[in-house]
Amino acid sequence: MAAGADVRDILELEGQEQQFITKDALMNDKKKKSTRKSDVSFKRPEGMHRELWGLLWTDNKDAPPIIPTDTNQGYKQMKAKIGSSKVRPWKWMPFTNPARKDGAIFHHWRKVADEGKDYPFARFNKAVDVPTYSDLEYQQHLHDDHWTRQETDHMFDLCKRFDLRFTIMHDRWDREKYSLRSVEDLKERYYNICNILTKVRAPQGTEPKIRGFDAEHERKRKLQLTKLFDRTPEQVEEEEHLIAELKKIELRKKEREKKTQDLQKLITAADSNIDKRGDKKQTKKKVHTQHQKVNQGIPASEPSGIKFADFKTAGVSLRNEITCICWTKKLKAIEQVLEELGIEFNPIPTEDTVTHFNELRQDIVLLYELKIALATCDYELESLRHRFETLAPGKAPPIELTPKQEPGTSLLSAGSDSVLSTPNLTPDSPSKQKKLSEAIDVLGASPGTPNRKRKAAIEQSNILKKIKQKV
Amino acid sequence: GTTIVKPFIYGNISRYFGKKREEDGHTHQWTVYVKPYKNEDLSSYVKKINFKLHESYPNPNRVLMKPPYEVTETGWGEFEVVIKIYFHDPAERPVTVYHLLKLFQSETDIMLGKKSLVAEFYDEMIFQDPTPMMHQLLTTTRAVSIGTYKHETDFEDKKVKTLGKIVSAKSKIRYEIQELNDRLKKKKESIQTLKEQIEKLDDTDGLIEDT
Repeated sequence: MAAGADVRDILELEGQEQQFITKDALMNDKKKKSTRKSDVSFKRPEGMHRELWGLLWTDNKDAPPIIPTDTNQGYKQMKAKIGSSKVRPWKWMPFTNPARKDGAIFHHWRKVADEGKDYPFARFNKAVDVPTYSDLEYQQHLHDDHWTRQETDHMFDLCKRFDLRFTIMHDRWDREKYSLRSVEDLKERYYNICNILTKVRAPQGTEPKIRGFDAEHERKRKLQLTKLFDRTPEQVEEEEHLIAELKKIELRKKEREKKTQDLQKLITAADSNIDKRGDKKQTKKKVHTQHQKVNQGIPASEPSGIKFADFKTAGVSLRNEITCICWTKKLKAIEQVLEELGIEFNPIPTEDTVTHFNELRQDIVLLYELKIALATCDYELESLRHRFETLAPGKAPPIELTPKQEPGTSLLSAGSDSVLSTPNLTPDSPSKQKKLSEAIDVLGASPGTPNRKRKAAIEQSNILKKIKQKV
Repeated sequence: GTTIVKPFIYGNISRYFGKKREEDGHTHQWTVYVKPYKNEDLSSYVKKINFKLHESYPNPNRVLMKPPYEVTETGWGEFEVVIKIYFHDPAERPVTVYHLLKLFQSETDIMLGKKSLVAEFYDEMIFQDPTPMMHQLLTTTRAVSIGTYKHETDFEDKKVKTLGKIVSAKSKIRYEIQELNDRLKKKKESIQTLKEQIEKLDDTDGLIEDT
């Protein structure tokens, strides 16, 4: 507004100014009149902040948004409510501490009401009961080869003085006179004496309370604690690392065990399966007359074989479609074997062919899984062998680990002693028949992976050994 | 329930012009077809067959209502043809076959265009519990052509050979399974004995050693 006035001044628009003034005057008058009319305003309660009151009440005389309450209370700056009782006087008084032996008199402020009462903190003066022994008792029971009479007496004196605080006693021990005793030594001697004394002094028939103190254990414990405390950060890291590895190893071990269990079932299934094949066709034909889609594989004697969709749909389907199965890891194995055999992946789909082909694929899958089982067994054997060697180094393992080398041994024969050499070099096999199981690379595409995985297993067993040594 | 099996052949035959045609760059003439395996008339139970060609062809959906179920065209590249077979019985869902059109091969005669390239496949339609009407249509078929009816590929021979191979492969695998089984059992036994040995050693040694 001020700028506007300047502009008008410059432009010499005086007429408007006058108008402006008169307007103002008018408006002011109006205001004054209006305020006189309604003077009913709520007084801001004492102590309430202006802004807060502004929230509740505006000049518009709108109803405040809250129900008016008695706002007198609570908005004042509250003064602290001190008890209304009378002031109690305090007095500078002398006092003695009965715990002190010298009878020194001190002064302090105390309430007049408490005059004459005992010094309240004196009740904390407690002493430990340290047993004393007579000479006779000492000669009879408490004699010890490692402790002279003087030493024992000195120790007991320290006990009394320091209330059985052994660490202090150990510090105050007279090193010139006597040989250095560790805290455990002191404790041991003390508890021994106490126990003997209680046994001796106990009246006939009562059970004396024996304090058990195992000095050896204490020494070891403290040694271990100091070791623990003195570990360098590198050592700590190494330990954590080892613990993590241990967890991993245990996990893998569990998985392997699970797998072997599953495969045990498989083996029994495989055994029984080969017998069952004959009557399977009959069972299939009996499963007709179902109008829903039944994705039935072979009867469930084979828990992990591949399922072939046996479309018993009321409707049309292509045989070729039915024989296709979805992609799995096992499919790769199947493909490899089929390549070896020279059979195409989707052979000409006639009924006989298809059934035989399906059975063939199931057999291949079984073979693959057996191979895996064999591999896990091998790893287990290796790790066990290593464990055996650590426990009984030098001894030869009691079992025959080199099974007779059949001609054309498969990729994963556990025969070689030098484990880290490439295991897929089949030993000289003059026989012409190449094993199909060789075609299945159980562990991966490259021949290097059986190597790596076996190395990993060995590393794991090494780590296990390390952990055991550390503990 | 009843099952009716209808074998058929699908595929394509193609021939190289010898040169690349100037106007559109086409190099091959090809025919994609569906034929019954045996000498019979498909149209008694097949309503129509839809050959879906590549989008670059005008009217890529070619519908054939009667035999011969084939589409002849020219082109320069291989693509997948979607063959959908519809049946007279509305209750039966149409069957889809995917066929990759084959034009190229490394054999010199085919490359030069002297010989045609054939890529055909055998498949079977399996009708499970067809309606009486459909059953009737399927069983009463008449021959479609006079004279000997044969295909480019000798499927009978192929059938026999494939079956033979598969059966022999099966016996081979069975034998190996047996073998692996035995080995596995032996290994398990040795694992067991080794474990026992280790346990014995464990007990006598004691585990914690002071370093």
